Amino acid sequence: MAVVSMQAQNAHQQLQAATDWNWLSNWRALGWERFSNTPWPTRKTEDWKYTPLRSLTNTDWQLAAPSGDAQGVDFDDWSRMTLTLVDGQLVDHDALPEGVSVRLLSKADAQTRGDFEQRLSRTLAGERQLFNVFNQAMLTEAVWIEIAPGTVLDKPLHLNQVISSAATERVIPVRVLVDVGDRAEATLVETFSNDASGAVFINPVTELQLAANARLRHYHLLLEEGDVRHLGSVHASLGGYANLDSFHMALGGTLKRKDLVVEHNGSGAELTLNGVYLPRGQEHIDYHTTLEHCVPHCTSSEVFRGIVADRAKAVFNGRIHIHKDAQKTLAELSNKNLLTSHQAEVDTKPELEIYADDVKCAHGATVAQRDDSALFYFLARGIRREEAEVMLNFAFINELLDGLADAPVRDLLQPLLRERFAQGAALEPLA
Amino acid sequence: MLKIDNLAAQVEDKVILRGLNLDVKAGEVHAIMGPNGAGKSTLGHVLAGRAGYEVTGGSADFDGQSLFDLEPEERAQAGLFLAFQYPVEIPGVSNMEFLKASVDAVRASRGQEALSSMDFIKLAREKCQAVDLPQDFLKRGVNEGFSGGEKKRNELLQMMLLEPKLCILDETDSGLDIDALQVVANGVNALRSPDRAMIVVTHYQRLLDYIVPDYVHVLAKGKIVKSGGRELALELEKQGYGWIDEEVA
Amino acid sequence: MSENIDQYLKSEYAAGWTTDVESLTIPPGLNEDVIRLISAKKQEPEWMLEWRLQAFRAWLEMEEPNWAHVKYAKPDFQSLSYYSSPKSMEERPKSLDEVDPELLRTYEKLGIPVHEQEVLAGVAVDMVFDSVSVGTTFREKLKDAGVIFCSISEAIQEYPELVKKYLGSVVPQKDNFYAALNSAVFSDGSFVYIPKGVRCPMELSTYFRINEAKTGQFERTLLIADEGSHVSYLEGCTAPMRDENQLHAAVVELVALDDAEIKYSTVQNWYPGNEEGEGGIFNFVTKRGMAHNRSKISWTQVETGSAVTWKYPSCILKGDDSIGEFYSVALTSNYQQADTGTKMIHLGKNTRSTIIAKGISAKRSENAYRGLVRMNPGAEGARNYTQCDSLLIGDQCGAHTFPYIESKNPTAVIEHEATTSKVSDDQLFLCQQRGIDPEKAVSMIVNGFCKEVFKELPMEFAVEAGKLLEVSLEGAVG
Repeated sequence: MAVVSMQAQNAHQQLQAATDWNWLSNWRALGWERFSNTPWPTRKTEDWKYTPLRSLTNTDWQLAAPSGDAQGVDFDDWSRMTLTLVDGQLVDHDALPEGVSVRLLSKADAQTRGDFEQRLSRTLAGERQLFNVFNQAMLTEAVWIEIAPGTVLDKPLHLNQVISSAATERVIPVRVLVDVGDRAEATLVETFSNDASGAVFINPVTELQLAANARLRHYHLLLEEGDVRHLGSVHASLGGYANLDSFHMALGGTLKRKDLVVEHNGSGAELTLNGVYLPRGQEHIDYHTTLEHCVPHCTSSEVFRGIVADRAKAVFNGRIHIHKDAQKTLAELSNKNLLTSHQAEVDTKPELEIYADDVKCAHGATVAQRDDSALFYFLARGIRREEAEVMLNFAFINELLDGLADAPVRDLLQPLLRERFAQGAALEPLA
Repeated sequence: MLKIDNLAAQVEDKVILRGLNLDVKAGEVHAIMGPNGAGKSTLGHVLAGRAGYEVTGGSADFDGQSLFDLEPEERAQAGLFLAFQYPVEIPGVSNMEFLKASVDAVRASRGQEALSSMDFIKLAREKCQAVDLPQDFLKRGVNEGFSGGEKKRNELLQMMLLEPKLCILDETDSGLDIDALQVVANGVNALRSPDRAMIVVTHYQRLLDYIVPDYVHVLAKGKIVKSGGRELALELEKQGYGWIDEEVA
Repeated sequence: MSENIDQYLKSEYAAGWTTDVESLTIPPGLNEDVIRLISAKKQEPEWMLEWRLQAFRAWLEMEEPNWAHVKYAKPDFQSLSYYSSPKSMEERPKSLDEVDPELLRTYEKLGIPVHEQEVLAGVAVDMVFDSVSVGTTFREKLKDAGVIFCSISEAIQEYPELVKKYLGSVVPQKDNFYAALNSAVFSDGSFVYIPKGVRCPMELSTYFRINEAKTGQFERTLLIADEGSHVSYLEGCTAPMRDENQLHAAVVELVALDDAEIKYSTVQNWYPGNEEGEGGIFNFVTKRGMAHNRSKISWTQVETGSAVTWKYPSCILKGDDSIGEFYSVALTSNYQQADTGTKMIHLGKNTRSTIIAKGISAKRSENAYRGLVRMNPGAEGARNYTQCDSLLIGDQCGAHTFPYIESKNPTAVIEHEATTSKVSDDQLFLCQQRGIDPEKAVSMIVNGFCKEVFKELPMEFAVEAGKLLEVSLEGAVG
C-alpha cells in the first residue's frame, strides 16, 4: 500500500473521532475500506496505465483546516449567483432565487442529516474508483444544490472553488451534489482556481442528477496552476428527455485526472460532452470519460481536443458502453491531439463496448499536425510559417470555445488560450 | 513582371507541366484556358509554392527574383496572390484575425508599419462593403460555412487588402451564378492598374466577357499550345477544345 | 434478434471428422522431463534443449494474462499431452511417397493439394499433423531457387546457424505466457528462408491439423526474407469436433531484412465449439514480424474458428521507411469469443502502417478488436491509418473496440476510425421482397463488409474465405 494511504489513515481516523453523526462515520468507514482494499495503481492497472501517481506519494498530506482567504474566478459584470468555496469550505454566497436551495453537510440539522443520508446512499453505491472512495473516506463537506421542478433560472450558478495559500500540503476533498428537477433549466459553472504556491491535493467529486425533462448547461473548468494535483470526477445521471451540455477544460498543475461518467437512465436523454486540455511544461492531464447507455433512444456527442507542449503528457480514454437493451442509441466520439514538441507525449484510447445491434456508434481519434491545405492558405497570404502554425493551433482549440453558449465563459477562457499561444501578435482579439 | 521559361512540374510522380512558357508584363491581363486536366490549376499552385507540387525543370522570374527560391509566404509577401478555386475552411480562426495577420506580414515585408487595430478594422469593413459581404463575415471562422460565392468574394476581399502586384485567379468563375460572377468581376476590374498584372485561369469563355483579357493562351497537355488575343477565346467557345487536341497531336 | 435471422445461422462444421491412425501420444503432464523427451524425440542438439528449458523455467514464473475481453476456464496444463505423432511418422519418411496414405487423404479431404502434379499445385504445402510435419511438397523445385522450405525440426538439424540466429529474435522466449509455453514445448512448424534478391517462385503454405484428443498443438514458424527478397505465405487450420477444449498456442516469427517483402495470410478455421458453446479450440497465438529498412510485412487474416481467440499479429517497424499492414476479418458466432487485433510499433523514420479490421458478431458471441499503435520518439514523419468496423447480427452478441494510441513524436500522424453497423430485419425483408433469400442476403452484406480485406488475400484463398464465411454464417440469421 502506498504512502499516501498511511498518512490518509491518520486523517481518516481523526475525522471519525470528531463526529457524532453515526451514519456519516459508517459511510466514511465504507469509503476507507474500499480505498484501502484497492491495490495501489501501477503501470499494469488498466485505468492508470499512462498516469503514474508518484507525485501523490511524496508529500505528507494533511486534511485542510479552513483558514485561507482567496478570491477565485471573477466573471466581472456577468449577472450570476456565486457560491465561493475556499479550501473546500463555503465562505460566501449570493442571494438565491426561488426554487433553488443550498444545503451543507457540515451544517446539517437533524432533518437535513436524514436527507443527506438518503441522497449520499443513493449515488455511487457500487463505486470503486480509487479517488471517489478516497473522497468518501475523507468527506468533510458536501454542498447540495437543488433546483426545484419547473424552475427556469435566468442567471447562471457559479460555483467558485478556490484554494488559498494557507492550503499548502493539504488534501481537500469536496463533494458537490446538484439535483435539477423535472422540467427545470439551469446553467452551472464550476471553476477551480488557486492562490496557492505550495503543493496541494484537490479531490473533488461532482454529482449531477437530472430528472426527466431537465436541462443543464454545465462547465467544469480546471484552471489551477502550479504545484497542484487535482484528482476528481463528475458523475451525471440523466432522466428521460433530460439534456446535459457539459464543457470541460484543464490546463496547468502538476497532475490533473478527471473521470467523467454519464449514465443515460431515461429514454430520450441527450448529452453533449466537450472538452479541451492544454498541458505544457511538465504538466500531466488525464481525462477518462465513460458514457453508459443503459436505455434505448438516447444520444451522445463527445468531442475532446488537446495540445501537448514541451515535456508535458496528455492521456485521454473515451469509453462508450452500450448496454444490452439500449437500442436506437446514437453515440459519437472524436478525440484529436496535437503534439508541439519532441518531448511531449499523448496516449489516447477511444473504446466501444457494444451489446445492442440497432445502434449507430462511431469514434475517431487522431494525433497529427494540422491540415496542410489550411497551412498553405496561410502561407499563400504571406503569413510566416511559425505564426501560421501558432494560429492554427489556437484555432484547433478555439473552435470548441467559439461554440460555447455563454459569452462570459468564452471571454474568461479565450485570454488563457491566447496567452498559451502568445508568440503571434495576430492572436490579439479584434472586434 | 513574370517570366516563365520552359517550366516542368509534377505532382506525386505524375508529370503535369511539360515545358511551359509565359511572359506577363505589368498592366497586362492574361487568360489561360484549356480542357480539364491540362494543368491549369497546377500552374497556379506551382507558382504559389504549394508542397507536393514539384518543379522538375525550367524557371520563373518574378520581378527579378527567382520565384522557386522563395518560400510560399515570401512569394506572397513579394506580391504574388493566388485566388483559390476552393478556398479552405479554417474554423476557430476568425476572418478578421486572419486578414490582419496577412496584411501585417505583407506590410512588414515592404517595410511598412503594422496598421493599428482600429485602422485595420475600419479598412476591412470598408472593403467588405466593396465586395458585398456582410460585416459579420469578419467575425466568422475563415471561410467557415461560407457559400461558394461568399468564399470567392472573401478571396477578392483579401486581394483588395493585400494589393498584390500579380494576381492569379484560379477558376474564379467556378460555382458562381451570373450575379455573383458580376460582383467578383467588377471587383477584379477595379483592381486593374498599370502596375499590376493578372493571370486569369478559366475553363469557360464566359468569365472573359466580364474580365476582358489582353492575351489569351491555350494550355493543353502541360504547355501553352496557342496564344492570341481576345478573339481566341471566342473561337474556343465556338469550337470547343477538341481541335486543340488534334493540333497538338 | 428475430427468429428469422436465427434459423439461418445454424451451421455444420465441415472439417469436424477425425482421421483413424494409430498415434503415439505421450502421457499428459508438463515438467522438464517432458521437454527433454520432446527434444530427444526430435533428436535435437543440446543448445535447442537448453533454449527450451530456459523458456520453461521462465514460464513457471509467469501468470496467464487476463486483460483480454474473453472468459474461459483456464486450461489445466498438467492434463494435456504435449506430443502426439502418427505411429507411421516415427521413422521419418524420406519422401512424400513413403508417407502413410491415410495421412495424405486427410489433407486431400480438406482440399489441400498434396500431389505436385495437381492442378492447384502452384502452391507448396507443409502439412503439420498434431505435433509433426508429415511432408512438404515442391522442396526440390524451391531448392533450385535457393528457397528453403521445410519443417522447423529439420531446420534445427540442417540449418542450425540460421535457426540459432533468428529463433526468438522477434518473439523472445519470455515475451508472454503462451509464447514462453510454446518456446518450451513446441513440436513442429514450418521454416522458410528466402535468399537475397529472390522472389519466391510459388506460394508457400502450411496446413495445420489437430487430430488427436486431449493434446495441445504448439507449432512454431520462422520465416526469414533476406535482403530484397519476396515471399507470400499462407496458413490454414482445422480440427475435429470434440467436446473438450483443446489448446493451440503457436508462435510465428517473421524477419524482413532490408528491402524484403513478406505477405502472410491466414485462414483460421479451428473447431469453434458447438451451438451450446461446448468444445472448440483455444487459440492463443503470438505472431510478430520485424521489418528492417524499406521492407514490408503484410498480415492478412480471416478468423472464423476457435472457441476463444487471443491473437495480435504485429509489426515492429524498426527500419526507416518500412511498412506494416494488417487486414483482418474476424467472425464469431454461437458462444465464440475473439480478442484480436494488431500492434504497430513505429521505431524508424517515415515508417507507415495500415490497419483494416472487420469484426462480425452473431448469436451470443463476443468480438473485440484490440490494437496498439505506438510512435516512438525516433519515428519522424511516420504515419498510421486504422479503420475498425463492427457488424452485429442480432442483439445477443457483443462488438468491442479497444485501440491504444501512443505518440511521442510531433511529426507522426495517427488516424483512427471505428464504426458499427448491423444486418437488420428490414434489410433482409427488402432482399426477400426482391427475390433474394435471406441467407444469400446476409452473405452478400457480409462479403461486401469484408471486401477490403478479401482483396488482400491470394486468389484461391479469397474464394475459400468467402465460402467459409458463408458456411460459418449459415443459420446466423436468426
